Amino acid sequence: MNLEHFLKGEAPGWMDVKGLDADIVLSTRIRLARNLDGYRFPLSFTENEAHQIDVMIKEALQSIQNDEHRFSHFTVKEMPALQRQVLVEKHLISPLLAKKEKSASVHLSNDETISIMVNEEDHLRIQCLAPGLQLAETYADASKLDSKLEEHLPYAFNESFGYLTSCPTNVGTGLRASVMMHLPALTMSKQIKVVTQMLARLGMVVRGIYGEGSENLGNIYQISNQITLGKSEEEILKDLQEVALQIIKNERGAREALLKNSRIILEDRFNRSLGNLKYARIMTSEEAAACLSNVRLGVDMGIIKEVHLNVLNECMILIQQGFVQQYAGTTLQAGERDMYRAKLLREKLNLNNQMIKEKGEERYDV
Amino acid sequence: MNCEHCKERLATVTVTQVVNGQKSEKHYCEVCAQSFHPFNLDFHKEEQIPIHQLVSNLFGLPVWNSGAQEKAPSTPKKSDQCPTCGFTFRKFLNEGKLGCPQCYETFGKQLPLVLSKIQAGTTHSGKAPGKPNHHNEWIKKQIDSTREQLQLAIHEERFEDAAELRDEIRELERKLERGGVDAP
Repeated sequence: MNLEHFLKGEAPGWMDVKGLDADIVLSTRIRLARNLDGYRFPLSFTENEAHQIDVMIKEALQSIQNDEHRFSHFTVKEMPALQRQVLVEKHLISPLLAKKEKSASVHLSNDETISIMVNEEDHLRIQCLAPGLQLAETYADASKLDSKLEEHLPYAFNESFGYLTSCPTNVGTGLRASVMMHLPALTMSKQIKVVTQMLARLGMVVRGIYGEGSENLGNIYQISNQITLGKSEEEILKDLQEVALQIIKNERGAREALLKNSRIILEDRFNRSLGNLKYARIMTSEEAAACLSNVRLGVDMGIIKEVHLNVLNECMILIQQGFVQQYAGTTLQAGERDMYRAKLLREKLNLNNQMIKEKGEERYDV
Repeated sequence: MNCEHCKERLATVTVTQVVNGQKSEKHYCEVCAQSFHPFNLDFHKEEQIPIHQLVSNLFGLPVWNSGAQEKAPSTPKKSDQCPTCGFTFRKFLNEGKLGCPQCYETFGKQLPLVLSKIQAGTTHSGKAPGKPNHHNEWIKKQIDSTREQLQLAIHEERFEDAAELRDEIRELERKLERGGVDAP
């Protein structure tokens, strides 16, 4: 597959709307950090070591290749900056990898549900993405691939510290599991603060989806485990699952209460947001994210019927600045970006709203 | 215990400082701890805690936020160097990251001190190379402990609980048969 395939603006496979509790949990992500024994971590290794690692991992992936695991390989250095940014915005590579110079690369599965980053903070980072809440299933996928790779690669492992990683916040299982949740009702009713504090006490972290400092942009929160050592993978996943289910329950409760107490206000707000998305000429990313969140909640509550969640998922990705610039075909100033963003949203929502796309059959085999 | 600063909220953060061998412990609530913290550490925003700050604080080491005020530490501790990458423990504290897998052995004695602050324990209990059936073992363990609870419930004549536990065991056994994957 060429790189263009992965730069398309369509919502990737893991953003399909078929997962469990998919109205609230947008996606599940599992990341395993692994390193090769006998090589220094990317923080301190040489160009030569980096290259050797890159080759070893590439060969290992080739030897396990089958219908289930087929990857396309891209070297970060060879990608233009804008394309790197688009891959970051699609969550296929991390912002850190996009900045790497020394033999950093990424292997992507064609449906974009698996991404293997090479020479990021660790030698190897296996990432699996799935729609909805599917922690155990997604981990099973990641673990299966990990076990296959383990037969071909000398993993750095220590009986007492587990899988060794560059940063001690990842050592042990090397597992970071996260769920991306849309929590507008908890945010509106100001309960989210309590949730965040509770999570911190349980050793979990809450972040926004559009990167650092975008805490509740679009009311989307990413909740992940912080602890990787002293708990087994299953315990980590079970704890996160329980927390996620609890939050879903609270969010549903808050939505019901909102709908009961202020239906007309909500109807007004949702339809105004839809109007803005369809007709505005200037859209900042903040406004776009807020409007998309409102419309999404409107669709979930059955108030807005003409927009499909697939279109909203796609728009959520497209409003990011890398995509807007790719759409425009050139780099843009902030003001110009807002104009192109508005144009892009108008096109998506006015054209696509009747066309409910039938896609993803072949993608949903995660 | 209430926060030592505002004396209102529950203290959830313990700040331990060791300065010249003198250990002091302070208990703050989350709100005060955040506003108080010398580095304005935000506990929730980042996936990775700026651990070098956390540990520097922990060990009473100077912070390197600006190179200008960097002074030679008054007690130069001769640390061992990692033979593979040349990292010293001090360098790890500054960077927050280790240089190579060998570091975990080189600093095997000091690391648990740091790990116990940021992790749930200092020993790995999870997947290991060459042990692919870990998931099943875990389910088996769960079945065993649920069975114990079931026996207890029957013994204490809590039959409603017992019925629930029995269903739970059946569910787990079904999972085990299917290869340890939860059905959606």
